[in-house]
Amino acid sequence: MKPAAQKIADLGLSVFNWVDDRLHVRKVWESTAGHHVPQSAGSWFYVFGSATLLCLMMQLVTGTLLALVYVPSADEAYATLEYLTYQQQLGWFLRALHYWGSDFMVGIMCLHMTQVFLWGAYKYPREITWISGLVLLVLTLGLAFTGQVMRFDEDAYWGLGIGAAIVGRVPFVGQQLVDFMLGGQIIGSETLSRFFALHVFVLPGSILAVVALHLRMVLTKGINEYPVPGMVVRRETYDKEYAAILKKEGVPFFPKAIDKDIIAAAFVIGGIVACACIFGPKGPSGPADPLHIDSSPRPDFWFLWIFAVAALMPEEIETFALLVGPVIIGIILVALPFVNGTGEKSWRRRPMAVIVVILVWVSLGMLTYLGATSPWSPVMDGWSSLPVGKEQIAGRSPLELQGAVTLQFKQCRNCHMVDGLGGERGPDLTDVGMRLTAPQLARQVVQGGGNMPAYGQNLSPAEVEALVAYMTTLVPEGVPPAQDFTLTKAAKQ
Amino acid sequence: MTAARAIPALLAALALPSCDWMPGKPTLADKWQAPSEITSFTELYNSNCLGCHADGRSIAGSNTLKDPLYLSLLAPEKLREIIAAGINGHSMPAFAKENGGQLTDQQIDILVAGIMEWRDPSKLPAAPIPPYSAPLGDVAAGNAAFAQYCASCHGADGNGGEKAGSVVNPYYLDLVSDQYLRTIAIAGRPELGCPDFAHRVPGRPMSPQEVSDVTAWLVSRRVNEFGQPPQTIPNQP
Repeated sequence: MKPAAQKIADLGLSVFNWVDDRLHVRKVWESTAGHHVPQSAGSWFYVFGSATLLCLMMQLVTGTLLALVYVPSADEAYATLEYLTYQQQLGWFLRALHYWGSDFMVGIMCLHMTQVFLWGAYKYPREITWISGLVLLVLTLGLAFTGQVMRFDEDAYWGLGIGAAIVGRVPFVGQQLVDFMLGGQIIGSETLSRFFALHVFVLPGSILAVVALHLRMVLTKGINEYPVPGMVVRRETYDKEYAAILKKEGVPFFPKAIDKDIIAAAFVIGGIVACACIFGPKGPSGPADPLHIDSSPRPDFWFLWIFAVAALMPEEIETFALLVGPVIIGIILVALPFVNGTGEKSWRRRPMAVIVVILVWVSLGMLTYLGATSPWSPVMDGWSSLPVGKEQIAGRSPLELQGAVTLQFKQCRNCHMVDGLGGERGPDLTDVGMRLTAPQLARQVVQGGGNMPAYGQNLSPAEVEALVAYMTTLVPEGVPPAQDFTLTKAAKQ
Repeated sequence: MTAARAIPALLAALALPSCDWMPGKPTLADKWQAPSEITSFTELYNSNCLGCHADGRSIAGSNTLKDPLYLSLLAPEKLREIIAAGINGHSMPAFAKENGGQLTDQQIDILVAGIMEWRDPSKLPAAPIPPYSAPLGDVAAGNAAFAQYCASCHGADGNGGEKAGSVVNPYYLDLVSDQYLRTIAIAGRPELGCPDFAHRVPGRPMSPQEVSDVTAWLVSRRVNEFGQPPQTIPNQP
């Protein structure tokens, strides 16, 4: 007589065997989780891929939960967001998890791509792994952008407007493409519906399919061995060399090489939850209403650099840069494993690769900073809200004081800083009297020049006089005011 | 037994984010507010008035509103009218929506009430305060009154002295209204060191008539020909 526990175990095993006999669970498990990887691939640098996949899984779960409440209609989307954020129990937390999950996913994906590039993992025979990764990059950025549209607040509205303006620049079919993108002439319910369909069906479905291909390539062509300087990739010999590495030091991915991925996963989940708890969800900002003239829309973090590029590039190259630039970047990235598919893998022997990575990250970082601070945007309420320092007022004559009033009233400070407060579009005026003489100031105010419009039509002679009289007093203590050298020289002669 | 312990721990972990102390939890104060829904006096004042009128802690080109004497001159209805409609031709814009501004009637009422809170009868001079508005007085008498009350700082002819700049500069006179000149004649610019009507000459406050006369003299110095830069008439006492 067997004990009851033994009986249950036997029954379980036979059920499992019955299922396995039909679904080949064991075999699938052995050839996926159990596939052999080089021991050297169990490195901390190799955790970003699995961490990105983890983010995707979290996004699917939190996104599904959000979809239970969210109503994708222009009339109700904003209200459901407010309901989630301020009323629904834990709704804010769910939104925060989804928002931070998205930020983490894009960020970790960029780290993964950087690592793959620096470690030469895109080289022979992993071309399709690299290209499918590029498709995943585009799809992930697409998810991030369409997700921003789901908030359907002013950021979403103007983000869509800018997207439509870019698409509208396509020659010949621009208008048709815009209509197709927005589902009509304007940003409305049709627009939200199609972006909702993209965000919850098309893009996640595509991403899962391409992830499957990406992982399939990892299984068939193996994980990149940790590059050693001097170990050169040759198309003729690499496959044999890789097989030899696997034979010599290959270990099953599960359970031998997965430990660092699990620890990294804990950090990623912890990071997302911590950010959600500490910083909360983003927005919603003001409702999507073009009548709100004082809105100051910003794209989400990972698109801030595009915002900066669009704001800063010269007008002449806009269409070319916006339409042809991405295509060129795409061609370079796709061609990379074919052009540069062999040779050294280690970044220690690839100085150009290291320089490219540093350049790209530094540029993106600086552009992101500029996008976040957007010094080119005027401070629209600067004229009425920004006070002046005592040093900039005390001791001035009545005319100069009227100049200080004119400086506010004519909205000069929306673009110009005084005493550390004001716009950054134009030069700081705190010490302007040290740099420009009264005639130079008058000319600049009346005729404009550089980036500044001419204000001659908008100012009376007395206002110009007062403004100039005031600005000539803006000189630091102990420093002489600006002088016209030609005049002082003529006076001496 | 372990499961029995794990379940409450798991529930506690799940409930954690709903705690009110979570710094990321948005409160209703974080909720976006339309500019027309703002009803806080401080917020309204700081975004609409601070730039030109300062708030007592700082000083600005235009006169401070935190001056009990100035506020005692001004009826709340007048202040309301100035905020809503602005002062045509001068650097005070209209703030009411019906005049092209951004503020609702309710918001202007809040501003008026808040500014009037700064009234302080205990800080008013003992001398009879001249009325906010009155007809212009006599120019010649104004010249004499100016010499007596203002010339020590602004110079004998008003063209500026050691302590203060010119008040007859044609560009200055072109930019300010008659009422502005009268208001300064009464209330001064205490934040800049210009005394009010009662304290210009110790022990001798300006009479209401003298205020009207000084204003008339200052106004008489202004010449504004259409299309021409403003000029000053030579002083002929």
